Amino acid sequence: MTPVYLTYGALITPLGTTKEAHFEALSANKSGIQCELKSGFNGEDWYLAKIDHLAKNRLDDLFRKGCDRLKETVGMSILSAPSTRIILSSTKANLSDVETDAFASMRQMISSEFNNTNDPLIVSNACISGVMAINIAAELIRDQRCSDVVVIGVDALFDFVIYGFQSLFAMSDEPSRPFDGNRKGISLGEGFGAVWLSVNCPNQFAVAYLAGASSNDANHISGPSRTGEGLYRAVKKTCERSNVTADQIDFISAHGTGTLYNDDMESVAFNRLNLQRTPVNSFKGYFGHTLGAAGVIETYVSLLSMEHNVLFKSEGIQSPGTAEEIAVLQENQHQRVHRVLKTASGFGGGNAAFIIEQLSA
Amino acid sequence: MRVIAHSYINPKGLHVNGELLAQVTEEAQYLKQLYSSLSLDYPKFYKMDNLSKLAVLAVEGMLKVVAFPSEGSDLQLVFANHSSSQQSDLKFIDSYTNLGNPSPSLFVYTLPNIVTGELSIRHKWYGENSFFIQPEFNPDLFIEQSSLAFLRGNNLCLCAWVEAQAQGNEECFLFLVSRSEGSLESADIMDIYKSYTV
Repeated sequence: MTPVYLTYGALITPLGTTKEAHFEALSANKSGIQCELKSGFNGEDWYLAKIDHLAKNRLDDLFRKGCDRLKETVGMSILSAPSTRIILSSTKANLSDVETDAFASMRQMISSEFNNTNDPLIVSNACISGVMAINIAAELIRDQRCSDVVVIGVDALFDFVIYGFQSLFAMSDEPSRPFDGNRKGISLGEGFGAVWLSVNCPNQFAVAYLAGASSNDANHISGPSRTGEGLYRAVKKTCERSNVTADQIDFISAHGTGTLYNDDMESVAFNRLNLQRTPVNSFKGYFGHTLGAAGVIETYVSLLSMEHNVLFKSEGIQSPGTAEEIAVLQENQHQRVHRVLKTASGFGGGNAAFIIEQLSA
Repeated sequence: MRVIAHSYINPKGLHVNGELLAQVTEEAQYLKQLYSSLSLDYPKFYKMDNLSKLAVLAVEGMLKVVAFPSEGSDLQLVFANHSSSQQSDLKFIDSYTNLGNPSPSLFVYTLPNIVTGELSIRHKWYGENSFFIQPEFNPDLFIEQSSLAFLRGNNLCLCAWVEAQAQGNEECFLFLVSRSEGSLESADIMDIYKSYTV
């Protein structure tokens, strides 16, 4: 099978704009979630992971800054190449343009900033968009449809999304604590994350993408399956396609939103998969839930774990407590991180996963 | 690969494989009318937004001519549109700007892939789903994504262009692509689409 390499693209979150800043913040278990006064519909103070100093049009500003970073990290020769495709992962895009075309400004920026003539592929599949986009990117390369894919995940904090999760009673009134026994819900966030997949081994730290899969719960449009059916099927298929068994996985970068039902569901699925002893975290205690960007951001920082052989604490955890027991990381842990399972679950009943591994020496 | 069935809905009626299956007499009520003429008994239908209703009805129409695999295990859904969940987005905005409170029942429909979720629930399909946003209907996306789906081991790909815009256009063009022999070109799919729309 054609090897597919996966490496860093760019990352802009409340924790910084560079790889180094993020490694430093995660190593110190610093969270980007803060109390935002009167951010709620009735003037409630919600905990959000909000990026400072964004222009009024938050999404366009964040996206432009991310594109600028990509020009420095990935470089124009790759970004503009006819054999490079761009995949965009976003749930709500630019809500201020919802009456006309919420995706138009980003589509336009991709072509003007990168001089890339290929139509960007836009994946909008709720919270699994990022993981799904990476799966599609790898398959495009494996099927020799292109040599490089830059996957960009982006979503900004809009009142729309805050009020929506508030109306579902899903917001936590303290910084989100995924997988904790006393978790109270999600903290929303915003960010721009990008990873670069290539048929060529990049001239920087990279890992091998093995395989991925997705599966629908066929259960409920906004509530997770009690049995974790879709997640179970997605991970099982991912392991089969990757030719990897549960005991060969060193770390799970889980979805972990911090809601009661989601985190319980994941714990049930991981037990059914015999992954209950595998170290697991959720990065949402650091970045909040960044929706369409989450899967890409969490993949980017999983690469940091693999490069530096350190697993990061599941931020916010005090006392793990899920329907079934799982091995939540309560402290940073230095160990060899050879193989990583990334998962995501979301509204619409979607679940997606993939496995990446260190390149053999 | 080849197209083994297709269906099309707009406010004028429901067609399957080019034949009129149900005619609409009152366009303002077309989704309700089509639901009745298909003799469906699925109360959840009434709670859905128009985007989901369109897709649910188009699939029910297609079921008159084909059967889907149980659990949809090797069935991939590839859905796309231009305006995402625009109708529900604007209704949800209206709920908190003009009607006093953000409505949770509207908010849950403010994602386009809720459509594939509704179909998965209705038919107990556990397979793979994906939703894409495009500037306009482009068969190339569906051909490329079907090819990738077949490489992943799927045998059938249910493709849809489903649109429920705030101003104007509502339609669902559904076509089922099989992995079996045959070369499928973009022009073939465009011809079918145009046979319904032009």
